[in-house]
Amino acid sequence: MAADLMLEVNNLYKDYNSNQVIRGLTFKVHCGDRMALFAPSGAGKTTLIRILAGLEPLTGGNFKLFGPEPVILFQEPRLFPHLMIEENILLPYRIRKSPISNETLREYRQWLEICDLSDFTNQYPYQLSGGMKQKTALIRGLLHHPAFILMDEPFHSIGPASKASIINHIKEANPEITLIFTTHNVEEIPLLAQSVLFFKTNTLSFSANLSVPHFQSLFSESYFQPKAASSTVAV
Amino acid sequence: MKTSRIFITSLLNEAVGVLLILAVWAGASLFYPPYIIPSPMAILRGISTFLPVDFAHHLLTTVFRVAAGFLIAFGIGTLSGVIAAILKLNNSLNSLMVALQVVPGTILGVIFLLMFGIGSITPILLVAVLTLPTLAINTVNGLSKRNLKQEEYLKTLNCSRWQTICYSFIPSLVPVIQSNLSLGVSMAVKVVILGEFIGSQDGLGYLLNHARIMFDMKEVFFYLLVLMILTLLYQALQSTIFSVFFRKFYYQE
Repeated sequence: MAADLMLEVNNLYKDYNSNQVIRGLTFKVHCGDRMALFAPSGAGKTTLIRILAGLEPLTGGNFKLFGPEPVILFQEPRLFPHLMIEENILLPYRIRKSPISNETLREYRQWLEICDLSDFTNQYPYQLSGGMKQKTALIRGLLHHPAFILMDEPFHSIGPASKASIINHIKEANPEITLIFTTHNVEEIPLLAQSVLFFKTNTLSFSANLSVPHFQSLFSESYFQPKAASSTVAV
Repeated sequence: MKTSRIFITSLLNEAVGVLLILAVWAGASLFYPPYIIPSPMAILRGISTFLPVDFAHHLLTTVFRVAAGFLIAFGIGTLSGVIAAILKLNNSLNSLMVALQVVPGTILGVIFLLMFGIGSITPILLVAVLTLPTLAINTVNGLSKRNLKQEEYLKTLNCSRWQTICYSFIPSLVPVIQSNLSLGVSMAVKVVILGEFIGSQDGLGYLLNHARIMFDMKEVFFYLLVLMILTLLYQALQSTIFSVFFRKFYYQE
């Protein structure tokens, strides 16, 4: 794990009227960290991602970014229906007026192959399945090698085989990437994450920043057992 | 070939409505004497007896007035709707346009007649003023339903205002424009007849008014049929243009 700090979250609070979603959350992310955010449904994972992406105001506390602005991958693909798949993937280049190098095109084709999308570049999003759209959004977000990416349930509609090869390719093509991803699927965590920010309650407050093996051992011991489901995980 | 097939399909779709109206009309004509509701066939047989020699002039005059009035309404209505949507003034524009819609067309027609006299200006202005609120409201409401999640995505790419307009506003505007072209012209046709009733000495509205005064119902129904066919052709044409050139803007995500 690199020592340079990428993100520092200090005593973060977020309320929606009287509903407190995030309470006093503190954690750090270093350059090259791949962190999973694991919490029950409705706990505020998406809210945290949105706050870190600058899309949602916070109620209290603060966070500091020490690197470039993060790229965000939303839970929904958010493709443009009037643009073909290729146009959607290359849209960030068009918007930033960045030239598309031969190397980028080579990587683009590689991504298409890994995601089984090579035959669909001239199709429109409505002609693709949910999983294919999600893969398109993943390529769009990752093709230009972001230094820091926030991913909200990035693999939720992608099948297990595709998911494994996509995750391998993320790690191979972007070995330096810093990423935070939310998930409620425990199997995704050892595939991609190095550490887990683990929340037991429905409010993001106290968190345990665990190594993946530690998380796996805790998870298999207590969380999967129906009788022990409500017990506190010792950290 | 493909375009002509789309046009014929659009025409047939539009024709279904007209055929239904014709069927109801033909049915009604069985229960009323010809001097109240003449049958469609009776009208076709008698065209030569009541068709004025300068019919083409009247027809073209009405078409010109519809086009001129509609273009004014379309331009101002769509533009004001877009500006209100960009500046988030939806409610203010809606209130203003609803207030404008309340003004009765007949009163407005008389005011324009007193101001501009008999001629083309009165029907054109009447079409413009009475059609504009519907188009402005339709535009601002249509744009308010655009996909804000996509705009949020664009925001994360640090898009400029212009890029957001290009990638989010304009694609959302295409169906709104088609709706304005369809809704607005149908409305303009109705309003121009009112305008020609009130302040004109030519046009189909003038002929309709004259026939109505003379209780010549064959002529009245004939002009109504002409207006209906013209509107049908226009709707089929615009529907074809949008199907051929702007189809992708109707795709769902």
